[in-house]
Amino acid sequence: MSAPEMDSLSLIRQVIGKYCDAAPEAVVPEATLADLNVDSLSLAEMLFALEDTLGTSIAEPTERPQTVADLQKLVEPFMGALAAKASSS
Amino acid sequence: MPDSRRRVVVTGLGLVAPQGRDVELAFADLMAGRSAISLNAVGDAPHSATIASAVCKDVDAAPILGRGRNATLDRVSQMAVLAASAAWVDAGIDNLPEEERERSSVLLGTGVGGAQTTEKGYRDLFLRNRSRLSPLTVVQCMNNAAAAHVAQLFGLGGACYTYSVACASAAAAIADGVRRIRAGDCDVTLAGGAEAALPYGVVKAWLSMQVLAPAADEAAARDSCRPFAADRGGLVLGEGSAILVLEERERALSRGARIYAELAGVGSSCDHGHITAPLASGQLRALRAALRDAGANNDDVRYVNAHGTATPEGDPVEIDALRQHFGDLAPRLPVSATKSMHGHLMGASGAIEALITAMAVYKGMVPPTAHRSELDPACLGVDHVLGEGRDVGELPLALSNSFAFGGSNVVLAFRAP
Repeated sequence: MSAPEMDSLSLIRQVIGKYCDAAPEAVVPEATLADLNVDSLSLAEMLFALEDTLGTSIAEPTERPQTVADLQKLVEPFMGALAAKASSS
Repeated sequence: MPDSRRRVVVTGLGLVAPQGRDVELAFADLMAGRSAISLNAVGDAPHSATIASAVCKDVDAAPILGRGRNATLDRVSQMAVLAASAAWVDAGIDNLPEEERERSSVLLGTGVGGAQTTEKGYRDLFLRNRSRLSPLTVVQCMNNAAAAHVAQLFGLGGACYTYSVACASAAAAIADGVRRIRAGDCDVTLAGGAEAALPYGVVKAWLSMQVLAPAADEAAARDSCRPFAADRGGLVLGEGSAILVLEERERALSRGARIYAELAGVGSSCDHGHITAPLASGQLRALRAALRDAGANNDDVRYVNAHGTATPEGDPVEIDALRQHFGDLAPRLPVSATKSMHGHLMGASGAIEALITAMAVYKGMVPPTAHRSELDPACLGVDHVLGEGRDVGELPLALSNSFAFGGSNVVLAFRAP
């Protein structure tokens, strides 16, 4: 697993913890959001919270994310900017 | 009162209050005259203010709903879920059969619903220049969200209604709960209210009306709400939820339920006079309707939990209405305004005060108006219970008054079981 993937997984773990009762170690790329009990309403709110954290608008996904890996793909384009923002603050 | 009428009793109480969530402990606090009002900051600088207010601590419905679902609820709905769950457990009706659940109602009052979500939306749009809002904004801030979540939690399939009648919202909900059970629509109803309306925008609106009690420091904040006092400075905003389990009396008796009180009478009216200034004539109509509905005599009434907001305009009018109705009995009529300790829960105030009045009847104890300040001469003529409560042994009948902006009035009459 590459470093950017690790970063995105950490971010997902951090945010998803507010939207499901799953243990952090259960939040792995192959885990489905259904398995983590993240329903459609929670997912919608979580994507909005991810935008808050990233400070940008995530492009509307054409297909609803099904897995943690799908979420990682959504946020990875912004991880570099997030790291730069963290190092400058 | 016709004996054939179905009667309604209170068999469960649930509370999320500035005093906490334990009904017994909260009532003990109130009896001791302990105020939960403090100095609190609202909003984020530069859009912030510091006011005396009564705020609930540890509001988190995640242990009941799970973190995922809980994160989709505004604070007001979380409060309602917590209060409803406590009332449900307190009533001991978890074995309510499926067919009865399908008939049971949820009737809640709220003034402004999901106010925190509404404010967050405006902040996102106008201060943070976000181009879109959380997709859950609508369902979090709609006024009926709290009732809907409570109905879902227990699978209650009867009427699920929300009443928005300003400060009489929850009392209106409870009154209609009584009417629905009497009419045979259902045997069990969760009725009450919830309000979490302390975001900056709402507070600024109240500040603009110049009706909030000022407070320079914590000590002043604690004693800032002084209904009926000559030096009262205005009302103090609060938040919270209270929900009562209303049950048809025969049903409750047959299952051996603990009965806190009979909700023996309800009365509603409108001043039809002024959008803010109350009228004694309108309040009298609700008072007399409640007593008539309860089949009660004036000398049955041994306590009035007053609306008593501590505004210069409102307090004398309420006392005037009581004096007019009770006449020679008025000087011996115990009256208190518990808002002096839990603040004004706005749309939920009728619920917390109904809960307190039911507890007063159940325990034979009259809670106080917390202060010991000199009384306004315009508010004299009743027996003000000041400073600390009274253990009166038994309380045959007690009233809870809720009088709203817009002129809507609701009086609830609780009779000892």
